[in-house]
Amino acid sequence: MRHARIIFEGRELDVDIDAQDRITTQNGEQLDVALDSDLITWLPPVKEPGTIFALGINYADHATELAFEPPKEPLVFIKHANTLTGHKQVSYRPDGIEYQHYECELVAVIGKTGKNIKRENALDYVAGYTVCNDFAIRDYLENYYRPNLRVKSRDSLLPMGPWIVDTADIPDANALKLTTTVNGKLTQDGNTKDMIFDVPYVIEYLSKIMTLNPGDMICTGTPHGIVDCQPGDTIVCSIENVCSLETRMVSEQEYYGDKY
Amino acid sequence: MTANSLVHSKLVCVALNDKAQLAALDATFHQDPYKKPPTQPVLYYKPRNTWSQEGAEVEWARDFDGNPVAAMVVGASLGVVIGKTTCRVSPQEALSHVGGYTVVADYSLPEQNYYRPDIKGKCLDTSAPVGPKIIPAAEIANPDALSISITVNGSVKSVFKLSQMQRSVAELISIISSIMTLQPGEVIAVGFAGNRVPVAKGDKVAASIEGIGTLTNTLGGA
Repeated sequence: MRHARIIFEGRELDVDIDAQDRITTQNGEQLDVALDSDLITWLPPVKEPGTIFALGINYADHATELAFEPPKEPLVFIKHANTLTGHKQVSYRPDGIEYQHYECELVAVIGKTGKNIKRENALDYVAGYTVCNDFAIRDYLENYYRPNLRVKSRDSLLPMGPWIVDTADIPDANALKLTTTVNGKLTQDGNTKDMIFDVPYVIEYLSKIMTLNPGDMICTGTPHGIVDCQPGDTIVCSIENVCSLETRMVSEQEYYGDKY
Repeated sequence: MTANSLVHSKLVCVALNDKAQLAALDATFHQDPYKKPPTQPVLYYKPRNTWSQEGAEVEWARDFDGNPVAAMVVGASLGVVIGKTTCRVSPQEALSHVGGYTVVADYSLPEQNYYRPDIKGKCLDTSAPVGPKIIPAAEIANPDALSISITVNGSVKSVFKLSQMQRSVAELISIISSIMTLQPGEVIAVGFAGNRVPVAKGDKVAASIEGIGTLTNTLGGA
């Protein structure tokens, strides 16, 4: 089963989506709308977002691409809900920068509170999986708590969704094809099998440091194949059997409007 | 995660905002891996599992083998509590977006380097008490004129004048609000004395700002 949050006919709804793409509300009402209809506004799929953990350089080929040594332990940074936006929504490119790239990533959504979780039990703590696009603005990198918040924590820089797939429906999260297209052209073509630290490893690692809670998310990093994105570009991040996440880039002025 | 935390949705901390600390580390910050001193505020989050309150015990951290860590430290900061949605405000208008002020304590492992996000050092459960209460912004004419002290078991270990901050409260609100839209109840810990105070198991720690209050917590593990 898949789970999403949408706005449909003026109502904000938590919905389930079955294998036949039928959309049902929590009250059991089946919505008379197709899954790809523009009448649906997609919200970020985690209803009460907690701490968002993101991994840097967690694919060996991406580490090479950025001229880094692969890390010996997970490189983790934190993001908050201000970065989240939904499927078919917009993200903005700041004025006057040279290089902003997408990062298509598998996301594990925590479903149960835990501390000191063993790797072999880790998936019991995962409610499901979704896809995010963990944008980065490389111009803003500084060597202090890198990647610093100015690079990664801007409003709208973490599109996520459209839905969460139950953990049970993904027998092996490390055997999934991962692709990104920009304006329909394939730019990233990887596989989650190439992750350096997989979800169970990261859950064991983080939960040795701190308690994980429902609504926390772990964004697991991106493989080789990042390119600059400009206002007007449409970016689609897809992970096999999970979902495809579409984002349209806009300018800073278009994003902030009156507050620009 | 403490249900009664005064923090709503986000606690942003500013590291390396003590002028004396920046001066002392200047040579280090010209070398690898830093290469040059920071040009922007150095920010980190204390995530929700860290949030705690006045009077609460702070857990003594354990290492990856499950043994109690050898050393912990504490820093204290003025906590700026956002009063209304704050998006891309100028320094001139920044203080009008403050709802109130409080005290933030940041318990952590000793700060050893600033190159990578310090998840292992900073994200410890119950390590960010905030309180004891929120003083309305109208009662504080100039937040940059305040001074914050830390006492451990009754003896003063640190005094930090906020006039020694590299960036003022208003500048920080302006810069942070141009990275992220801030919401009511979110808290910014604007600056800590560069020399964090060592603490031991069982210590009673008081972080105090005149006119704001005293935040008292006890280290666990004794």
